[in-house]
Amino acid sequence: MGLVDKGLSLRNRGRLLVGVFEDEDHVMAATKALRSKGTDILDIYTPYPIHGLEVALGVKRSNLSVVAFLCGMTGFSLVILMIWYMYVHDWPMLIGNKPVRFTPSWVPILFEGTVLCTAFGMGIIFFLRNRMLHGIQPELLDDRQTDDRMVIVVEADNNVDEATMLQTMKEAGAVELRERIGGVQTVL
Amino acid sequence: MGHGKDIKIAQEQFTVPAKGKKFAMIFMAVGALLTAVGFFTMKSGDGHHEATAGGHHATEQHAEESHAEEAHAEESHAEEAHAEESHAEESHAEEAHAEAVKHEASHASADAHHIEDHNEPTEAFGPRVKYNRKPKSKLTTFLTSLMVNGYFYLLIALAALFFYCVQFIANAGWATVLLRVPLAIASFIPYAFILVFIAVLFGYSDIYHWAHYNHLGLEKGQEGYDKILAGKSAFLNAGVLLVVPAVLVLIYFLMGRKLTKLSDAEDAAEKGDTSIFKSTIKWSAGYALVFGFLLSFIAWLFIMSVDAHWFSTIFGVYNFATGWVTALSVICLLTLFLKSQGFLKLVTDEHIHDLGKFMFAFSVFWTYIWLSQYLLIWYAQIPEEMIYYQMRFENYKINFFFNLALNFIFPFLVLMTRNGKRSRWVLGITGSIIILGHWHDVWLMVNPGVFGPGQQVGLLDLGLFMLIGGGFVYVVLNALTKRGLVATNHPYIEESAHHDVGV
Repeated sequence: MGLVDKGLSLRNRGRLLVGVFEDEDHVMAATKALRSKGTDILDIYTPYPIHGLEVALGVKRSNLSVVAFLCGMTGFSLVILMIWYMYVHDWPMLIGNKPVRFTPSWVPILFEGTVLCTAFGMGIIFFLRNRMLHGIQPELLDDRQTDDRMVIVVEADNNVDEATMLQTMKEAGAVELRERIGGVQTVL
Repeated sequence: MGHGKDIKIAQEQFTVPAKGKKFAMIFMAVGALLTAVGFFTMKSGDGHHEATAGGHHATEQHAEESHAEEAHAEESHAEEAHAEESHAEESHAEEAHAEAVKHEASHASADAHHIEDHNEPTEAFGPRVKYNRKPKSKLTTFLTSLMVNGYFYLLIALAALFFYCVQFIANAGWATVLLRVPLAIASFIPYAFILVFIAVLFGYSDIYHWAHYNHLGLEKGQEGYDKILAGKSAFLNAGVLLVVPAVLVLIYFLMGRKLTKLSDAEDAAEKGDTSIFKSTIKWSAGYALVFGFLLSFIAWLFIMSVDAHWFSTIFGVYNFATGWVTALSVICLLTLFLKSQGFLKLVTDEHIHDLGKFMFAFSVFWTYIWLSQYLLIWYAQIPEEMIYYQMRFENYKINFFFNLALNFIFPFLVLMTRNGKRSRWVLGITGSIIILGHWHDVWLMVNPGVFGPGQQVGLLDLGLFMLIGGGFVYVVLNALTKRGLVATNHPYIEESAHHDVGV
């Protein structure tokens, strides 16, 4: 698994079935119904977070907190190196006869440096892995999925047969069903 | 609510469970026992190595006597006390007063040495602080301990009410299902304050060395005249000490009562009536304002003035941080206890998780303020403000670092993970440690200033902590029985019941 999660990309996929919804309750119902039948749901796109959807979808907890910890440690070490080089090694400054090594005045810089690296590292890696970083071509299944539509994508080659999956989404309240082959969508 | 969950909001009536009563009783009984044992086994002037050696005795006792008996002779005695370096004079004084001072070493009060401590000329590297404070009597130790403990519980009660208010000001819904818990904790405000007030009323001349200095009434140019204390005497005097905190706490108490009444009115009102909710927001904002700005006065007068030559501009914030994180831990522990007894059915792991986040975050906040207080002095190059830290760092090194370990390192490492914040066991243990740690923090703010070096946390301190703690639990649990446990008519109760922090 690379830094960019290729699993999230819709490229190089076979036939995909797309259900478009207008209501978060319908998405929830469809997700639960599909999962109860044993379907592997590829992804769900919603314009805003829906409470409980990740539980219904069976998403594992992300490792972002580990990333945060590692970024924090990196920042901490970098700042120690920076202060040491500037303030101890290269140009020590005697201020009020205070020592230069590991004094309380290091603490705010260490704190800020750690927080800075954690925040930026986490932010960048989060967007990178979600394929949402600037420069990554977005793959929209529906032009309104960032506005007021919600989209469920499943692979046609699934544990459950196609007709059942489409039927389930339809019953749960899908307003439109499509198939997607090689980036081209056709309304079913 | 589109959360796919159907949660029924039901009112719960709380009755104090047998376990709660037993806990309060045992805590109080053990506390009383420890207090008694601590009080009677304590030697007078306990914990003062070498302070009582030589001529010190004489001067101390003169001061004592003068305070107790003859006001008119006080100045001359005090002057004798200031000539402490000269042993000849002291032995002379000793002869002269030997008879009069033999009785009761226990009724110590006037402490002439304090004045001298800080009256040294400033040397090149800051003032030389001499730790030759006199031994304190049993009563002083008791009153100091009572003050520390009462103040600690006062901070918890005030900060718990602040927690209640913050939810309204921030328009936050998540905590609505457990809002009755901080409201109940706030009912301890008057009891805690009465304890502090008793301790300060009877012990102020012993606990605060500026009180004795004011009593001497020295003029400029006289020996022993202290410029710093004289400059602060408009603020640091018995009138201000006793009146200002009392007035402030009365305001807090009345606002707390008003908020409780609003909460009761909401229960009685029709569902969907948001007028009371809006009124509560206004009162909450008022409390936050009064509490946030004026808590500093209580902290300055009761705690910071123990080291009257020292001052810190963020001492109020520091006290707030201590009280706030402790109150969060107490709220968390009480919620966990109520849940374990089958109450607060609407409170889920999600709410507990958020309380854990609060405890984690504000442990870090406390550390931030803890360091900042020192950092300001360090950066600004004010060696005369080092008195406070020099005393604690040189004579209470173990306590100093223990404080940091208990209040920062432990909660920081344990509560960092999500699983830690969601486990009731981990939260219970960490919460208890945070409470103990901040109790020790308040102890460390006061005791070195009152006793000088060599004081240690004793059975008396621990005993009073448990004794008042038992009373605290009793009062809070009883306050919980007075109204339903769930604010069923609160506009955000549905939102709170469906609270979900995600995977």
